[in-house]
Amino acid sequence: MGKMNKPGQKSIFIIAEHNENKVKPVLFELASCAYKIKKYCPAEIKVILLGNETEKLSSEITHVTGLDVVATEINELALFNPEIYKKVIEDLAAEFLPSFIIAGHTPRGLDVASGLAVRMKAACITGIESLGETEGKICFRRQIFYGKIDAHVTADSEPLIITVQPGAFEPFKPENAATGKVETRRVNYVPFFTHEKGIRRSIFQDSSISEAKVIVSAGNGIGEKENLDLVNRFAAVFPGSAVGGSRIIVDRGWLEYRQQIGLTGAQVAPELYIACGISGASQHLAGMRGSGFVVAINKDPKAAIFNESDVCVVEDINKFIPAFLEEYKKKEI
Amino acid sequence: MKILVCVKQVPEPENAFIIDDSKEWIRPGTFSYRMNRFDESALEEALSIKDRYKAVGIDVISVGSENSKDVIRRAIGMGADAGIYIFHDPVGYVSPFLTASFIASYIKENNYDLIFAGAISEDSLQGQVGPLAAEMAGLPCVSFVVKQEISSDQKSMYVERELDGGLVEFFELALPALLTIQGGINKPRYPSLSNVLRASRAEIRTINSDLYTKSVPGQKNKQLTIPEKKREGYVLSGSVHEKAAELIRILSQKSFIA
Repeated sequence: MGKMNKPGQKSIFIIAEHNENKVKPVLFELASCAYKIKKYCPAEIKVILLGNETEKLSSEITHVTGLDVVATEINELALFNPEIYKKVIEDLAAEFLPSFIIAGHTPRGLDVASGLAVRMKAACITGIESLGETEGKICFRRQIFYGKIDAHVTADSEPLIITVQPGAFEPFKPENAATGKVETRRVNYVPFFTHEKGIRRSIFQDSSISEAKVIVSAGNGIGEKENLDLVNRFAAVFPGSAVGGSRIIVDRGWLEYRQQIGLTGAQVAPELYIACGISGASQHLAGMRGSGFVVAINKDPKAAIFNESDVCVVEDINKFIPAFLEEYKKKEI
Repeated sequence: MKILVCVKQVPEPENAFIIDDSKEWIRPGTFSYRMNRFDESALEEALSIKDRYKAVGIDVISVGSENSKDVIRRAIGMGADAGIYIFHDPVGYVSPFLTASFIASYIKENNYDLIFAGAISEDSLQGQVGPLAAEMAGLPCVSFVVKQEISSDQKSMYVERELDGGLVEFFELALPALLTIQGGINKPRYPSLSNVLRASRAEIRTINSDLYTKSVPGQKNKQLTIPEKKREGYVLSGSVHEKAAELIRILSQKSFIA
């Protein structure tokens, strides 16, 4: 990889996802990642788009990014079918011989990445957050051990398939992009084993959380459900605040789904974000990275959330919040 | 109907993980372990099928060091019928390809109608073993499933899976198939006393991974590092009350509180 490549011969695939006739925004982050790879490995970037109505989507992609699009129209495919995606992209890869295939670190992206890796005998590195070069090789950074350690991973073979953590790269939206080429093909593929049956919205985004000026968020570290009361009292100190939580708290039914912050919940960017007993797994960070000022309270000094915080409080939140409320009361008097 | 559930033991997040001298992995330690939460949810889904249809057998499989047997026994305690343990305990990082290839080899030699795995493991968050094993064994696969229902003829199943951004999509899959299960979609049951007794006596079938061919694409940890701070990371000091007062001062200065 890297230095032995001749320019102009290689390609990088980016796999586009779409819903409700819109391109999923993570695509623009994947484009940034592709451009970073291109610095070390000169190659043509191609956005791979599959669906039964691709014209509007292709046009959006190429106008925003200036990248070339290879669109495959398949009557039998509305949005996503892992069987069709794997087969069609495998065929495209046999034709274009990409050095890299980039997908989002999302359920669909993971279905496709792992499946293609086996078919193409390719290495597969998932959930990457940044990349660089060491000793002539591209090195991808991903979190391990609950975000307490970064692994810098390399591959010895091409092609390499990667999935990129949403929110990790800035979206690639150049101001004056020359429109790229769109190549549209049509294929028929009737799936044997897996049939698409539809899609629905399960969580209705609630503006009260996405518009809050301050979010106080509860994680596993709160311990018992009763301690949510403390978090609520803590939040009440801040004008314009809302209470949110990590996935585990919502899964336990302690908070409602609309209050979940993270990759599968709301993506928020309040002026102040206070993480209470949140460890800082990448799934959660993807939902709050854009926050203005971040305070984290966690009794584990090595918790990953502290790497993403402006102020770190190493305390059990069930001791810290009562102390905070007492001190705050003193100040008021 | 035969169901296989893939389970993994993960170290508890509170453990101290220290990078070893090779910089490629962490120092072995006396960690406290538990079952990966996503796998607990996968097992609970399988057990709910068994509750509903009588003629269902559930096997659990785990790949790893000798103490992986603990999660297998835990799974039997929760209600699984039998355990399979694939011994594979090299020093350092284990590629998900390798783990998946052992599971796929086992699946190919044994007939299962349905295979469940957790969507990701909490410690490494790769999300690969399930979909890789499915592809290697030639099975259809859908990841991050939140709801499943087997058809009355038990030849296909309906699944709902969660997407990022609050969407759920639906599929119908021909069986046999492999599903990876989203965490937290159910309440994994506690082991029952009678099952715990059975688990303690159960003979776990052990397979040495040396019996399986090991060919994997090369990917390796070039280096492990402690994550860089992406923000200032000002650490408050003093007693809990001193820290509280300091935080109030900082937040007042920034006009977040009156």
